[in-house]
Amino acid sequence: MTTVVESPATSIGRPGLVDAAMRPFGKTSKKFWAAIAFLTVVVAVGVVAWIVQLRQGMGVAGYGDRSFWAIYMADVVAFIGVSYGGAVVSAILLLTGAKWRAPLSRLAEGMALVTVVVGSAFLIPHLGRPDRFLGMVTQPNFASPIFWDFVAITTYTFATAIFFLLPLVPDVAILQAAHPEGLGRARRLLYRVLSRGWVGSAHQRRVLRTAMGITAIVIIPLAVAVHSVLSWAFALVSRPGWHESIWAPYFVIAALYSGVALVVIITAGFRRGYHLQAFITERHFVRLGYIMVALGAAYLYLTFADLLPGAYVGERSVNNMVYATLVGDLAPGFWFVIIAGEIVPLLLIALPQTRKIWGVVTASILVVSAMWLKRVLIVVGTAAYDHLTDTFGAYYRFTWVAIAVTLAGVAAIPLLLMLLFRIVPLLAIDEIQELTATATDPAARPASSPGKASRGRAAGVVGGVMLVMVFLGAIGVDSAPAAAAAPSPATPPAAVAVSAVVSGPQVTVTARVTAGGTPVQDAQVRFFESTEMFAPGDNQIPLGKVVTDRTGTAVLRYQPAVTGPRTVSATYYADVEGEPATASAEIDVTEAVSPYTPAGPRLLAGVGRALVNGLFVAVFLTCVLVIAQVIRVRRACRPGSTPPT
Amino acid sequence: MWSKNRETREGMRHGVRVDLGLRPVGAPSVDDADLSRRNILLSLGIAGVAAAGGAMGLVAYNDEASAAPTTDATSGRAHQWCRVIDLRACKGERKCISSCQKRHGLPPEQTWMRVLSWKDDGKEYFMPVPCQMCENPPCVNVCPVSATFQTAQGVVLVDQDTCIGSRACMAACPYEARYFNWRRPVDTHRMPSPSPSTPEFPANQIGTVGKCVLCADLIPYANELPACVPACPNGVHYIGDFVTDVAVNGRATVKLSTFLRENNAVRFKEELGTNPRTYYILGNGQPLGGPPGGAK
Repeated sequence: MTTVVESPATSIGRPGLVDAAMRPFGKTSKKFWAAIAFLTVVVAVGVVAWIVQLRQGMGVAGYGDRSFWAIYMADVVAFIGVSYGGAVVSAILLLTGAKWRAPLSRLAEGMALVTVVVGSAFLIPHLGRPDRFLGMVTQPNFASPIFWDFVAITTYTFATAIFFLLPLVPDVAILQAAHPEGLGRARRLLYRVLSRGWVGSAHQRRVLRTAMGITAIVIIPLAVAVHSVLSWAFALVSRPGWHESIWAPYFVIAALYSGVALVVIITAGFRRGYHLQAFITERHFVRLGYIMVALGAAYLYLTFADLLPGAYVGERSVNNMVYATLVGDLAPGFWFVIIAGEIVPLLLIALPQTRKIWGVVTASILVVSAMWLKRVLIVVGTAAYDHLTDTFGAYYRFTWVAIAVTLAGVAAIPLLLMLLFRIVPLLAIDEIQELTATATDPAARPASSPGKASRGRAAGVVGGVMLVMVFLGAIGVDSAPAAAAAPSPATPPAAVAVSAVVSGPQVTVTARVTAGGTPVQDAQVRFFESTEMFAPGDNQIPLGKVVTDRTGTAVLRYQPAVTGPRTVSATYYADVEGEPATASAEIDVTEAVSPYTPAGPRLLAGVGRALVNGLFVAVFLTCVLVIAQVIRVRRACRPGSTPPT
Repeated sequence: MWSKNRETREGMRHGVRVDLGLRPVGAPSVDDADLSRRNILLSLGIAGVAAAGGAMGLVAYNDEASAAPTTDATSGRAHQWCRVIDLRACKGERKCISSCQKRHGLPPEQTWMRVLSWKDDGKEYFMPVPCQMCENPPCVNVCPVSATFQTAQGVVLVDQDTCIGSRACMAACPYEARYFNWRRPVDTHRMPSPSPSTPEFPANQIGTVGKCVLCADLIPYANELPACVPACPNGVHYIGDFVTDVAVNGRATVKLSTFLRENNAVRFKEELGTNPRTYYILGNGQPLGGPPGGAK
């Protein structure tokens, strides 16, 4: 534990550290403004494209029924995904005590914050009616994975902002003391508010360090949760390729992999732009490269583990998806991702000749773009699969609107970061100073690969695949031959008499068929019941056919489905051509038994509600924990606060 | 008939989540009961608004327990609608689709029912696939804003004024029975027109999801049949009610339970546990959903 207590104004750990951190504040070059202007134009074009989409519908972005989710969903996943890279470099390395992270931490945390904001902003063009977005709050459905996406992203963004702000407190105090004149009025005011009461005492440092540690511990499961819930937006539907149990960890690893790569790119950019070579060296890039390789290998492994079961078992739809991925329509994209996005970066970092800054940066650019493409493939591929006909429909086609909106997001990241680091220092001054003061060799500790917290998956009902036995039933209604022989013209016309008795839920209908007073044997009597359904008054439900006995009597017993008055009737066709003999009786049914029984509840149906309540408690506790850290640091900064004994 | 039902419709709009099955089976016909019914519906609408207001802060968790329609089956006061599709009779004329599009003012590319067709051994087979009106609808579970819901009579509907267009329901539907308004809809000519947009008789809006509504504005009130049922010249489509155990196809009336049993009716994708309320009657040797290679 370090016990350095120095006046911040005099302790400049490394020559030029404060100057370097303040470099973006100074007079800006023409290049800087040119870059800002260019990026702003790109963002503005994207906003215009989005307005066009709002006015004309999502069709102009290339969407259709067989590409109901496409580029924007991939953008959400990819951009929020890279945010996790900031968390890994900062939070995990902080917890594992990897001190070499110090010069990267501010950049990584800023990137995490900016990318999660840009990523969640892609939800806006993704929605057909963004004007009703508040419905997520006013009438949420807690069973929906999309709702939990919203909750997880919001909580994660909040925690990321706190994680970014906390370590700023000592830094802005140092800057304020060192160069009050170089800051300008706006920054001075902001810094005074942020660092009010900070003197750098041992007690304050201890409190801040603990607060950072706890926030880091909170950030990691939160980020895992964000990417898991994002994956469940896909995995909780019954589409081949999405409905995979491996999806959640697969998304988390993909997010880490692409995120570390973006940290490399951003770091390289700011290192070059602001001449930070003295603080960020090749060693940092190589270590980030090692982390990236480990994650890339894990991603390759998960890709294989995802595909093998689907390819092995002959389930038609899953088989078709695997086929399309490996050799079919999606194959060019898929193999590009595997080779350019995983194998080539792995080689670039593995080979000593290329294990340089340029090599790691090249690998990172490949990884970030390939992982974006991978997200597009998994979204577009499965959406195009029509699982009614088991064929692929029309694939998603990129349009200028969709590309412009996506490029706007890409441009927004450096733009927001450049503006952000004009407000706050881009190097964690205090942390670097501390390192120098304690003379810890930053290279002494090996880079530790991040420990992955495995999370219990939400309890869901695993639908076992059952074979549907299709019965080829007896065709048609049986058309029994007319039982009664055609009576000779001399035979008197047949007559039917009907009586019905209601006893409880059972109705007994008795029909007596006579011809000239004598009972008719073997006569087929059709019984009907009247109904109000669908055609009031004259709709007759057939109840069945009964053949008369020796006394000319046919008896039918049935259970009515509904109560109420109605007529029951009996009909006898003495002659296939002639008019039937019909009689009816009025009954009033007081007890009825409907054959309808609602489907029973699904297995584990009650678990969902318990899970929802548990999740709300978890979200609440997380927020309380993060806010408590802010309060702790603030209290430690209160004038006259004494260190506890 | 239509203008008379307008109040009814407004009442339904507010009371829809409370109960739809208002009309007792044995009640007098529409004309006689109109006045009293209007009052009942009006008060029910008010009660519905009050109930909705009171339930605002409560959990809207659409699990199976709450989604399962509550019905007093023995008294027959509610209906539980279903469909039966007799594939033996289907000749692929697609009259059901055109009448549906005409009634709901749908653009040509949007059909709330598909008719799959394929050839096998020289014989051509057809299979109409509308919304299967699942008793356990996956689409209802995933909607983030509860815009899609199941009525007390088992009809799955979309509230066009709530839908945020996330299309999660389109992803979740195993029957591809949901459609999105990808472009600004042209001036629709719904029949009859004009009429207010309700979940039971929705007007198309840009950026929302539409689907088969089983003509829920017609069946419980006016005793009229869904547009597709009488449109079929071959009597393929039956509309049925589990509670009263009746089904009709516009010309014949059958006892539903007997009809399903005697004809070995089956349901599509039974293995997904959605409990669809659409039954198919096979009989000319075709499988559901098409041949193993995939239907064209």
